[in-house]
Amino acid sequence: MLQSINKIHNVQNITRIYALSKRNVILRYKNSLVGFFWGFFKPLLYLLIFIVIFASQFPSVNNYILYATSGLIFWFFFSNVTNQAIGTIVGSAGLIKSLNIPVMFFPISELIGELFNFFLTLVVFLIVMYWFGITYSFRLFLIIPCAILFSVFSLGVILLLSSLNVFFRDINIIWGTVQPALFYITPIAYPESLLKGQHAFIIKCNPIYYFIKLGRGIFNDPVAPSAHLWNYCIIIATIMFFIGAFVFNKLKNQFISTI
Amino acid sequence: MNTDSLITFDNVTVNFWQNNLGINSIKDLITKRKKPFSNKTILKNISFEVKRGESMGILGRNGSGKSTLLRTIAGLIKPQEGKIMVRGTFAPILAIGAGLELELSGYENMSLLLSLYGTSRKNTNAIQGIKEFSELSDEVLRMPVKRFSSGMVARLAFSISLANEADILIIDEVLSVGDQGFQAKCLDKIHQIKAQGTTILFVSHFPDGVMKICDTAILMENGEITHRGTAKEICDNYTLLF
Repeated sequence: MLQSINKIHNVQNITRIYALSKRNVILRYKNSLVGFFWGFFKPLLYLLIFIVIFASQFPSVNNYILYATSGLIFWFFFSNVTNQAIGTIVGSAGLIKSLNIPVMFFPISELIGELFNFFLTLVVFLIVMYWFGITYSFRLFLIIPCAILFSVFSLGVILLLSSLNVFFRDINIIWGTVQPALFYITPIAYPESLLKGQHAFIIKCNPIYYFIKLGRGIFNDPVAPSAHLWNYCIIIATIMFFIGAFVFNKLKNQFISTI
Repeated sequence: MNTDSLITFDNVTVNFWQNNLGINSIKDLITKRKKPFSNKTILKNISFEVKRGESMGILGRNGSGKSTLLRTIAGLIKPQEGKIMVRGTFAPILAIGAGLELELSGYENMSLLLSLYGTSRKNTNAIQGIKEFSELSDEVLRMPVKRFSSGMVARLAFSISLANEADILIIDEVLSVGDQGFQAKCLDKIHQIKAQGTTILFVSHFPDGVMKICDTAILMENGEITHRGTAKEICDNYTLLF
């Protein structure tokens, strides 16, 4: 694994990852009517539903629109990148069978392609949120380390899912089923104080909650996220990355014969 | 070990995991309760040597391990046993439609694959070269590859793979698709590449092609090399199989 990470430093390999990421971005919007604006429609639709149904239910949340939107853009980053990347090894069979490049480049380039989308969405979000009371300050730059941590976590998840999906093609379907559950146990539409007492642990067990809380804290809260929260995110991201990379490396020699 | 050998295989064995029950899903894994994978030997104790500038043909029935052998040579598959020594660079394995992205246009495929192959030549020159060799028109190359005919796909794949200068060229049964004119042109090109000193590994079901291109050949059966010799001898052996 460390070997394949070292290889990334090589200039030629950076070109390769760039070319693959570019392919992913092009492929996603090829033949689509409104191109990359699709990236905004989905969160926007969810936001409208949230505003209509939930906004008045949670008066405890100050600035509900900002609260919900900041949660949504992080959630959709995670949701999109896992959905796109889960089939990437199976889908790149032709290349993997003819060219000697580390297979890890394929999930990595899916992540980079989605990060590109994420930052586009982020720019639009930051502009639109001007009318909904966002405070512009240097603190917003903390979104960069936050996005990096969330990406490392997501990379762990997609390495795990995409390599398992080579052997069990229904991982794809299972993940599609699990996702709504994950979405609802993550406090995106509702404040985390909603789940009280014996159910509160459900939220705390959900790793995505910490990243969304971190990102949201940067946009929304009067005080910056605590060092504790940063530490949690660093630990979770590292553990997830190593789990994903471990499984991926155990399985990678069998990819060619199975795809 | 000979110093001027480019590729040396020493008792190489490759195993694959095999699905015991056609398991492809977790549901089956849970409901059938058997060990899902077993090891299947694809290549058994393969040893051979290819010298610089030599061209070797690989013949055999379907499923005898030819493609696996090519992929092992190119380093895509790691052997479980044995030693492999390779001195030289590879052009990507040339197989039908290999690596072409069906949704992308011909041009987009060119620049994607050129970057992935790590071509050192300036991209615009390389693209011009590919376009000329493939004889595909501008109009065709702007279409998504999924709308190409299989012959056109072969032309494009072949032209892109040859855009690279490498020490070893691996060809996996690709010439059977293009029309006769293009086949002849490819054979010419392969001869030309060979004359420059490139080593060629050639898999084909047509003994004629093997005899034209290769000096030596091996015949494979069930993952083992059963015969080796000059291209002529092996082609005769191969025709006797059927």
